[in-house]
Amino acid sequence: MDGPHDLGGKDGFGPIDVTAPPFREEWEARQWALSKNVPIPGGTIDWWRHGIENMDPETYMSVPYFVKWNLNEIAHRVDRGMFTLEEALSGRAAQPAPPANPASMDTLLERLRTNNTSFARPLETPPGFAVGDTVITQASAVPGHTRLPAYARGATGRIAAWHGGHLFADAGAEGRHVVEHLYTVEFAARTLWGAEADAQDTVCLDLWEPYLAPA
Amino acid sequence: MASYDAKKIGDIHRHLHAHKPSDPALRIKALEDLAVERGLVARETIDTWVEMYAERIGPKRGAQVIARAWVDPAFHDRLFEDAGQAVKEFGYEGHATEHLKAVANTATTHNLVVCTLCSCYPFAVLGMSPLWYRSAAYRARAVKDPRGVLDEFGVRLPEGVGVRVWDSTAELRYLVVPQRPEGTEGWSEAALAAIVTRDSMIGTQRDLTLEAA
Repeated sequence: MDGPHDLGGKDGFGPIDVTAPPFREEWEARQWALSKNVPIPGGTIDWWRHGIENMDPETYMSVPYFVKWNLNEIAHRVDRGMFTLEEALSGRAAQPAPPANPASMDTLLERLRTNNTSFARPLETPPGFAVGDTVITQASAVPGHTRLPAYARGATGRIAAWHGGHLFADAGAEGRHVVEHLYTVEFAARTLWGAEADAQDTVCLDLWEPYLAPA
Repeated sequence: MASYDAKKIGDIHRHLHAHKPSDPALRIKALEDLAVERGLVARETIDTWVEMYAERIGPKRGAQVIARAWVDPAFHDRLFEDAGQAVKEFGYEGHATEHLKAVANTATTHNLVVCTLCSCYPFAVLGMSPLWYRSAAYRARAVKDPRGVLDEFGVRLPEGVGVRVWDSTAELRYLVVPQRPEGTEGWSEAALAAIVTRDSMIGTQRDLTLEAA
């Protein structure tokens, strides 16, 4: 979908605050901790991302990063019936439950380590492209979740690497497990941005086979 | 279960928008209070996780990986073969590292990492991303104007150096391996790790200095 999240190549943002730290405020770190320690059972990473993409554009562009996370964590829990909107806004549970046990630092370090998740899956069908092949990306927008950014649509590039079968993000956002071949595709910067780009520069994207056609 | 209904989640977001918080700290506290009351997490666990990210999970981990790649040719090869596996030798795997890929800066190539669609980052190896990495300005400009972005970080590329930008669009994550600076011959792995900066592993710094990061 052509949501406000698809920022690559957009103009008008001005300079970057190069000194900005990871967290400026305690609440930012606490939202990060909440997101990582109050799991949403089921669901997929791309359905989570698609939730943020469906945030209204004014909010997306105006609220701090971890407020976006907060709003999306609430939206997903309301969506699946874990919380009501009223509970999330008030911070009071309609029906309190026995308290959870605190986790130690060692437990949390181990939880982080074992959070490592593979998205690779076996795939019987052979890859449609080989390293070095020239491909062209899909030119049209799609209404749902996609990881093909608008700036790289309809662009000709070269297969730089093949990664085997990976869970396809577009299907994951719809709750379907579909495996497709994943490639790194390298585009000349001038192909994407025109003559103003430096002739030496390139942009690499990781793209699934359904985004690609032979060029 | 999750609805996977984009219209429904969009409607919920619009309801939330109508109650947009004036104070972000209160909004986050409300979710924390609710999760604690519902027995989903203990407040002490949130405290400990925050402490863990402040003190244990950060770019010092990535710096150790880079330093070992500089001094140990066999590890260097394993890192470039499969960085997700190689970081397991340190126990540094975790959130978003399974499909980690190491990319090397050379005399003719400079690598720069971005996620234009969200904010993908190899958290377990580099810690929380700097705010600028998640900013609209960086996400918008890194792919289109990488040399302008690098200039704002004080990086001036020598003649003949091309920029390769990595947009993290799938579940691969990127770790830039900066060039080992001259004058560090014979240094210990620990001394080398101390000069590797976070920004050099994202690509917004090119030349490391001999000062501790």
